[in-house]
Amino acid sequence: MKKSRLTFAGLVGAVALTVPFAQASADDEITRGQLMADTCINCHSAASAEAGGAPDLSRYPSDLIVSQMKAFRDGDRPATVMDRHASGYTDEEIEAMAAYFGQ
Amino acid sequence: MQEFSRRNFIKVVGAGSAVALTGIGCAPQKTRNNGKAHVVVVGGGSGGATAAKYLKKYSPDVEVTLVEPSATYYTCYGSNWVLGGIVDMDFIEQTYGALESRHGVKVVQDRVTAVDAEDRSVRLGNGDTLRYDRLVMSPGIDFRYDAVDGISEDDAERIPHAWKAGDQTRILRQQLEEMPNGGTFVMVAPPNPFRCPPGPYERVSLIANYFKQEKPRSKIIILDAKDGFSKQGLFEEGWEQEYGDMIEWRAASDGGLVEAVDVRNMTAIADAGFEEVQADVMNFIPRQHANRIAHDAGLTNGEGWCPVHQDTFRSEMDDNIYVLGDASVAGAMPKSGHSANTQGKVVAAAIAHELTDREPVSPTAVNTCYSLVTPDYGISVAAVYRFKDGEMQGVEGAGGLSPTGADSRTREQEAQYTRGWYAGITADIWG
Repeated sequence: MKKSRLTFAGLVGAVALTVPFAQASADDEITRGQLMADTCINCHSAASAEAGGAPDLSRYPSDLIVSQMKAFRDGDRPATVMDRHASGYTDEEIEAMAAYFGQ
Repeated sequence: MQEFSRRNFIKVVGAGSAVALTGIGCAPQKTRNNGKAHVVVVGGGSGGATAAKYLKKYSPDVEVTLVEPSATYYTCYGSNWVLGGIVDMDFIEQTYGALESRHGVKVVQDRVTAVDAEDRSVRLGNGDTLRYDRLVMSPGIDFRYDAVDGISEDDAERIPHAWKAGDQTRILRQQLEEMPNGGTFVMVAPPNPFRCPPGPYERVSLIANYFKQEKPRSKIIILDAKDGFSKQGLFEEGWEQEYGDMIEWRAASDGGLVEAVDVRNMTAIADAGFEEVQADVMNFIPRQHANRIAHDAGLTNGEGWCPVHQDTFRSEMDDNIYVLGDASVAGAMPKSGHSANTQGKVVAAAIAHELTDREPVSPTAVNTCYSLVTPDYGISVAAVYRFKDGEMQGVEGAGGLSPTGADSRTREQEAQYTRGWYAGITADIWG
């Protein structure tokens, strides 16, 4: 868990860089990481997992999401569709969306 | 005297004198009801329902009213599964209870009959007027029967389009059930752009699956207004493998372009009258454009679709109106339920930020279109989108199709993910 928390702390820093600091009020700011993460959950929710589809990412620690997305992207983990999605994101974007899920 | 931040200024001025603000620069007005913004969403399909739900999520203080004529909504995606007899109609039925009870969206069951952009209000079928600070239009499509002679919307009971799910789906399913073994099912497929590009070809796949089991001597002919279609290589590979020569596709330039339909004789006429194709059951999917309410509101271009600033989906025609989903012109994004869903989130974030005077977050969008060739044979096309050079573009090196020549295990996995996708996206929109 310690490693995961450390990763998370680093990621919060990364996310903050992408939005003007003065706007970053905790309760109603929508970060790009959140918006990207919200485009994952139509396939990756409790409902999809229950139906035998893609796993529920809200239950995943962020470091696991980061490592698996990079593995899909780099061809280190076989996939039906996730390789095609993961190739669309930079390291920073993967880390930002994973940080949102890990909250 | 309270301090005047720009945000407060807008709220106060908005409450006192709504008109005054329009004179300051060209920024659209924010709110006019004691600072509490009201967003009206027109259309409870994938785009509108997502926008409404995520607006409340991103901006709980905003009042959101969703106007949708139907108490139950049938998703167009999944309706091919009904036609193929894999699932019943109730499988694709969605309702609005959770949007109201769980997410705080006010749902009004009515039709919008007019948009008054100057007054920032919409008129409802019951005569009421709803005023808005921002209007989100997700009205979907309407059909253009004018491109083909001899057939009109009045013929849709005899020759259904089944391209808006619901009664039309039931009618076509019943006709397929009543068709004799050895009959011919003819689909007339529309020109681009249209709702759900792989949809017609998934439809014939699953009807072929039904025929193979129940009416194996039957035949399927697609008369296409195009010379190519979405996932063509994958569909053709699957058709040959699963259905032999049951399905025949005719390209527009190869006698497929239908010019007229003889409704009484169930005959499609193509190739300058040289080709006549008689059907036992015909599915005529007309050319499409944005729903007429978008035309009436002045939001469409010469082609009948709604141009938007694709980073926010704000209308190019009116700063207070956003248009998303099938009705919008969305760059490389196809007219799909998944596109509409992801656009709904972009719109919700854009409005949430705009109403509180913050810079919009740079948009990101995705699409995954699954199609079933058989109930155990799935294929997909996927993409990730970014706003670049004024439009939504697919990210280079990402996205693309399922591989051709894949083994049956891969096809089964994608069929399983297809079912998971349906459960997930409908829960995300209406759950």
